Amino acid sequence: MTDITANPQSDQAEQDRLHQDLDEIWGNPRGWRALSIVNHTTIGVRFLVTGLFFFVIGLLLAMLIRTQLAIPGNTFLGPDEYNQVFTMHGTVMMFLFAVPILEGLAIYLLPKMLGARDMLFPRLSALGYWSYLFGGLILLSSLLLDVAPNAGWFMYTPLSDRVYSPGLNSDFWLIGITFVEISAISAGVEIVVSILRARAPGMGLHQMPVFAWYMLVVAMMILIGFPPMILASLMLEISRAADLPFFDVARGGDPILWQHLFWLFGHPEVYIIFLPAAGIVSTILPVFCGRPLVGYRWVVLGVLTTGFISFGLWVHHMFTIGIPQLAQLFFSAASMLVAVPTGIQVFSWIATLWLGKPRFELPMLWLVGFIVIFVAGGLTGVMLSLVPFDWQVHDTYFVVAHFHYVLVGGMFFPLMAGIYYWLPHFSGRMPSMTLGRWGFWLTFIGFNLTFLIMHWTGLMGMPRRVYTYESGLGWDLPNLISSIGGFIMAFGVATFLLDLFLHFRFGEKAGENPWKADTLEWATQLPPTAYNFVSLPDVTTRHPLWDQPHLPKAIANGEYGLSVSGHGRRETWGVDPVTGRIRHIIHLPGNSMWPFVLSALLAVVCICLLVSAYTLAGLGTMAALVVCLRWSWENGAHPKAAPDAHTKPDEPPLHSRTFDGPGLWGMGTTLISNGSLYLSLLFGWFYLWSVSPNWQIPAQNPLNHGFMLAALLPALATTVWLRRVVRQLKQKNISRLGLHLWSITVLGLLHTLLLVMLIFEAPLKPTETTHDAVLLVMLGYSLLHAVVGVLAAGLQALRVHWGYVGISAPYEPKIVLQWWVYTTTVFVITYTATVLFPLTWKPY
Amino acid sequence: MLDPYGPAAEAVAWTWWAMFGFSAVVLVGVVALWLIGMRRSPAAIPEEKAAIYNRRWIVWGGIVLPCVSIVLLLSFGIPQGKRMLPLPVEGEQPLKVEVIGHQWWWEVRYPESGVVTANQMNLPAGRPLDIHVTSADVIHSFWIPRLGGKIDMIPGRTNVIRLEADRPATHRGQCSEFCGMQHTHMILYSEVQTAEDFADWIRARQQWQAPEPDATTRDLFQRECAACHQVSSLKGSPVQTTDETLLIGPDLGDVASRSHLGAGVLRNEAGAIRRWLSEHQRLKPENRMPSLDHLEDRELDVLADWLETLTP
Repeated sequence: MTDITANPQSDQAEQDRLHQDLDEIWGNPRGWRALSIVNHTTIGVRFLVTGLFFFVIGLLLAMLIRTQLAIPGNTFLGPDEYNQVFTMHGTVMMFLFAVPILEGLAIYLLPKMLGARDMLFPRLSALGYWSYLFGGLILLSSLLLDVAPNAGWFMYTPLSDRVYSPGLNSDFWLIGITFVEISAISAGVEIVVSILRARAPGMGLHQMPVFAWYMLVVAMMILIGFPPMILASLMLEISRAADLPFFDVARGGDPILWQHLFWLFGHPEVYIIFLPAAGIVSTILPVFCGRPLVGYRWVVLGVLTTGFISFGLWVHHMFTIGIPQLAQLFFSAASMLVAVPTGIQVFSWIATLWLGKPRFELPMLWLVGFIVIFVAGGLTGVMLSLVPFDWQVHDTYFVVAHFHYVLVGGMFFPLMAGIYYWLPHFSGRMPSMTLGRWGFWLTFIGFNLTFLIMHWTGLMGMPRRVYTYESGLGWDLPNLISSIGGFIMAFGVATFLLDLFLHFRFGEKAGENPWKADTLEWATQLPPTAYNFVSLPDVTTRHPLWDQPHLPKAIANGEYGLSVSGHGRRETWGVDPVTGRIRHIIHLPGNSMWPFVLSALLAVVCICLLVSAYTLAGLGTMAALVVCLRWSWENGAHPKAAPDAHTKPDEPPLHSRTFDGPGLWGMGTTLISNGSLYLSLLFGWFYLWSVSPNWQIPAQNPLNHGFMLAALLPALATTVWLRRVVRQLKQKNISRLGLHLWSITVLGLLHTLLLVMLIFEAPLKPTETTHDAVLLVMLGYSLLHAVVGVLAAGLQALRVHWGYVGISAPYEPKIVLQWWVYTTTVFVITYTATVLFPLTWKPY
Repeated sequence: MLDPYGPAAEAVAWTWWAMFGFSAVVLVGVVALWLIGMRRSPAAIPEEKAAIYNRRWIVWGGIVLPCVSIVLLLSFGIPQGKRMLPLPVEGEQPLKVEVIGHQWWWEVRYPESGVVTANQMNLPAGRPLDIHVTSADVIHSFWIPRLGGKIDMIPGRTNVIRLEADRPATHRGQCSEFCGMQHTHMILYSEVQTAEDFADWIRARQQWQAPEPDATTRDLFQRECAACHQVSSLKGSPVQTTDETLLIGPDLGDVASRSHLGAGVLRNEAGAIRRWLSEHQRLKPENRMPSLDHLEDRELDVLADWLETLTP
């Protein structure tokens, strides 16, 4: 890069001065103001600590399960307690441990690995964290109140509906988990955008650390994979609260729809958990082998393929529901096919080991455990994809053993390796082998003792989720062995926690780049400062620290870009997503209470929904909306977003002064995720038409053709007009921008009002037929988008008056345009699917 | 499952052992490669040579090995899957049995002979069986491990699985889709008999007329039991629910002849029915049958005495 002036060599005093300047802008406040921290390092650590906390809870629940099943006919837990315990064990481990802790690790590591100073939406990181914490606590509180979810972690309908689960148990699950998923979606959005837009200058996609590739794929999978379940949860909660019969056969619904939506999420979820862990393996292994990962391109290709195939496998969780043979064959073969990209990764790791000179450190021990357990789990997975075999062992302890091998082997062991590997980062100290080795062996032996025998228990015919069993079936001894193994494993985990505690107090201090790693996160101080790097170096190789060992010193001396901080902005480079060429300077928002406040309000709303205090919930929602608007006020040319908008003549522009800011990318990725939700809804609509055993349609289509068109027109007009405004803004050729935006707001409002009338006019009987219930949801979805669109447009008009948006800070209207294009498109599709499409075969 | 009593289960058991052997070899191989790799420390290899080396690892281990395994598996598996489908057969036609899942018991019907029973399924050996399953409430799953695979019982749908039993024996089956509080105690005993014994079993039930209860017993049954239970063997008696589709509790037509009570909770020995009547909420907590604690011991005795006679 030629347009960046490298600072001259500076001495220690100069280094300290640079640090002080940067720390003034980036440093974390203390006391209660710590709630406002948005820095990715702090948020990442919070995620990790909270994740470990929930893991311990999940483990304790598992110990209750193993205690109950240790002997036949045990009465330690009653059926209701047991059902709550196993449901919560699965739920906590999947939703409150596995996914969030890996997101946290990614949020902590990615900017450091990519040579940036923070994630691109720091306030969103904070919102994600608080939503995760509050959602998790709401869910856990149900255990204390003895109304924990008890319908199994996949909540099959009709068992989980209002008839068969009348208590609050299922509501806790649906509301709590949906709240937690805010953190998944927000992590997904910002991981994608941050990887694509905030890297070191010159770092092309093909030079990214392989972990970033893994996380890019995982984040895309989160964005597409989670919405089906969010939709299903919302539908089930609505059907519980308002009796809309989406899953009720008698009124034209179908319980199998829940299974499709759940596993559309559930299977990608498995890879969402496994891939980051595999990314940890691909990162650590080469470091300890002292040579680059063999077949980087193959591995990246493998990861992409895994992500892609994982969306075509969901039916293999449903082989026993009686689906056509041909479909089973397809999903069976597809399930087996996943072995190929996974095999590629395994063999590239083995090849790396063979070609390198492996050093045996603690993380490598956990990786050995990983390969043994994970490959075993993978092999039983291939067995399960064989349909006749699956029919036998489905929902038995064989399956329980299989997925614990895959998840514990494929996620927990690499995570442990990763935690030990990055420990110097968190503490500035080195892990020691002494206790660490004990922790590993106890966990490894305990795990295999518990779960290896469990395959056998399953083959002996023991179904999962039974709270007891009678003696004499041959299940006694294997269950006892599993229980003993479980407690040994728990001791292993306890040893690890003790080791961790002692480490922070007594660990040996770590030197610079202690593992001799190749990636940039080791160029920070240990532990790192909030801004990661004093100056941001150009990176044009996959292994910056191997190729330029002096890099950490040079970075600390401020020899590279963006080391100046007199302007008070939090800065990082905004780069071209493919080549890594610099496009602009991204200035990031500073600490803010809004994420915490918003999350707390949403928690209040969730609690109100749980106790059916709908008025209060409504008020809470309004308050949350106001906070959202207030939050987005501090963008663009607002002094809190960029205290000083002046840049030096040789510097690229600030992103808020261009048409290419991260906000556009953020909205784009959010809409991809939103689109996945809408497509799931559309899938449900067509699925019910074609498959629901008792589908009922009214004599006449309740949606009026003409009315729909009338509502569509103002939406189209809004979008077209907004597009023109944005184009003129781009050409810096627009007068009375505010007036334009106000008019657009009014047009949008017209669309909204027409939608409201449409919904009230249509003779919908949503509690009587599923047909009408789905229509109502589709219209409600459009209405919600219209309302948000109107608010966003109105806010823009206001901001123009305040001078925060205009020709000099032009990119926000384009984000609103993205929203309106989406809203209009969705309405057109709804119109086509509900009014035009049925005309082709005239069912009414 | 590894102690098969029917062709479908046997084929799966063999498949399992074959897959187990193959997987064990792969697992040991991969782990061995990993461990050897960790102990080696090779001389530096020139980059060009390393690239060829790499490709060899990935292509053979990562692509060829899994692909070959998949083709092998599918060629094994597809013919097996076909066997469990209700395809037309030549010769003796399959016996149709309807099984309906309830929270938490099994309703069993033989539509060809009109026989109805519960929590007990008698089957002839050596004849294909078409089990038609559905559910009256939540999703359950029908599974008799020694005979073959399982199939879900879904409200609003009827699924069919083709099974066959080789030889007479008693098999334990259990609901294998979590169905709520007493999922654990939803056990189905199936009694495989020779074709003649089975025919006798059916005939006995078709021809049998249960003894008429005396007036006290009948009143008691009407008041306490008949809202949910019917006694199909009591032909033309007022002790009947009229609408069979609304069966809430098990048909008691041959209750005394069944091997267990409460869907596998209690072995049906002498005095077991009496015990069930007074203790069922302790034996099977939260089951759908209301407690009979408000009845006097004498009344329970009367009911139990009559129910004991319900065996053809």
